[in-house]
Amino acid sequence: MKKLVDAIRNLVVGLFTTGKHLGRHAVTLQYPTQKWEMPERSRGIVVLLSDKESGELNCTVCMLCMRACPTGAITIEFEKDEKGKRILKDFIVDNGICCFCGLCEEACNFAAIKMAGKYEFSTEDRETLIWHQDRLQEIGRGVPYEKPVRKKPAAKPAAEPPNAGDGPAAAESAQPEVTAVANPPGDAVITKPGQPAESRPAPEPPARPDENPIEGDDGKSAEDQK
Amino acid sequence: MSEAQGLHTKEFTLNVGPHHPSTHGVCRFVLQMEGEVITSVTPVIGYLHRALEKICENRTYEQIIPITDRFEYCTAMSCNMGFSLATEKLAGLEVPERAEYLRVIMLELNRIASHLIWFGTTSLDLGAITPFLYGFREREDILDMFEMTCGQRLTFNYIRPGGVSKDIPKAFIPVCKKFLDAFSAKVDDYERVLTENPIFIARNKDVGILKPETAIAYSVSGPSLRASGVKYDLRRDDPYSIYDRFDFEIPTRENGDCYDRYIVRIREMRESAKIVRQAIEQIPEGPIRSKVKMNFKPPAGEVYCRVENSRGEMGFYIQSVGEKMPLRVKMRGGSYNQLQVMPVLCVGHKIADLVAIMASMDIIMPDVDR
Ligand code: SF4
Ligand code: SF4
Repeated sequence: MKKLVDAIRNLVVGLFTTGKHLGRHAVTLQYPTQKWEMPERSRGIVVLLSDKESGELNCTVCMLCMRACPTGAITIEFEKDEKGKRILKDFIVDNGICCFCGLCEEACNFAAIKMAGKYEFSTEDRETLIWHQDRLQEIGRGVPYEKPVRKKPAAKPAAEPPNAGDGPAAAESAQPEVTAVANPPGDAVITKPGQPAESRPAPEPPARPDENPIEGDDGKSAEDQK
Repeated sequence: MSEAQGLHTKEFTLNVGPHHPSTHGVCRFVLQMEGEVITSVTPVIGYLHRALEKICENRTYEQIIPITDRFEYCTAMSCNMGFSLATEKLAGLEVPERAEYLRVIMLELNRIASHLIWFGTTSLDLGAITPFLYGFREREDILDMFEMTCGQRLTFNYIRPGGVSKDIPKAFIPVCKKFLDAFSAKVDDYERVLTENPIFIARNKDVGILKPETAIAYSVSGPSLRASGVKYDLRRDDPYSIYDRFDFEIPTRENGDCYDRYIVRIREMRESAKIVRQAIEQIPEGPIRSKVKMNFKPPAGEVYCRVENSRGEMGFYIQSVGEKMPLRVKMRGGSYNQLQVMPVLCVGHKIADLVAIMASMDIIMPDVDR
């Protein structure tokens, strides 16, 4: 009998606890009409930032973001002008394989790429998740950002002599047009044999996203990196 | 009994899962049933295998951190932490003081968040819906704090080799204090709804008793082990980071049944809140990350580092050959051993108890399969 009374009492205590919520207002947001305010650091989709005055992209084609990306979501296509300066042809982000880690934003020294607090990019087709430069730039307009204060003014990429790099970079600058395409790191599985430690060969440069052929060119920006 | 009435029962095979509402993740059980009583359990795993350890072999150490987020997404901070600790040990990196405190704050908040998921899903598995909503309500506050700090709610990529990725924003400490102040009363609420609830007790008491010897033999760790009376917590027994500076208790219980596992986890949430409060009070100013080169190359060697996460010991083994990518990464999660011990716990119980036992062990499948 006492057990029964106890049981009922405990059930009532539980019921009372839930009952406290009866008079509360609902906190539900009616999504498409009402929207949650995203925090400032929120990591949504990758956008490209433009200069506030000129409207030009901040990107200097240093390729650091492409190398930092763990999934190979970023592809940068560029060509070189006669001075050897790289000119951006297309900046492609595959939102379908981006894992929203934010490493590209951290790698960039020029405030050119950012993860904006935007999240509405669902489509019906996987192909349309691949965004090109114009779209990335468009969605990036109006995204607030701070231009980093640079110790050395941005003379670096422009002042590069045509054949500064040696090795693969020099070989490439001889060609009129260079297109660098990021291999998704997954491909590298094949190039890396599971050999014992001593006999393991050095990694093959072209297959790695962070060791793309133009390494010699921007050793400097790699040092800028924190 | 049935034969006395002229009826014959035959053992039969019952498949539970792989997509079943009460299996946490994509787990499948093949049960041998004698009527309603389980005579053997065979867990079938592998449905969530994503080859993450293999993927790690083709990434630099920095790039692996976002991948560790996917190992065990309920407590991704501890995965970040385990891998960072191992990398730091391998590469000899220093961690600034402030970063250590930030790590502890995040790890413990994440432990609370994970226990809240467990609290919600356990009660849901047993048929109670209200606690689920309560648990996820408070978890939401914690996730908001994470999002405010690192920008994501589940896949943080926050704790890095050599420190943490970002300092906490100014608003963090007031928000966190407010949360902690309210949290104790919230846990009281949870307890009022479940702890003394006669239905909950009937479903959990003396169900799935895990004996300490069995637990140790199966390498069960974490709250499930402590509920069996073994006081073993890596935060105290093998202190990493700065856990030796905080004053907290390690809750244990003796019976090792589902109810005890429940009590231990509830009390752990309170202890974690205590640690966060201490850390917030002591946190010094200073840098949050030591200088780490991009694509750093740790010297050749191997290392194993472990942290205590909400499901037990989470260990990372890294083998390096002095390149910027590890040769091998192996991760040990608590859930695997807890799943292994399920057959021992379930035999002789009714099929409905399988759900209760699974829920109380707090198994999540991505931690088992990787
Ligand atoms: S790191 Fe920045 S500047 Fe360099 S290529 Fe990427 S977006 Fe452009
Ligand atoms: S967020 Fe991460 S995965 Fe996505 S593009 Fe940037 S680096 Fe690559």
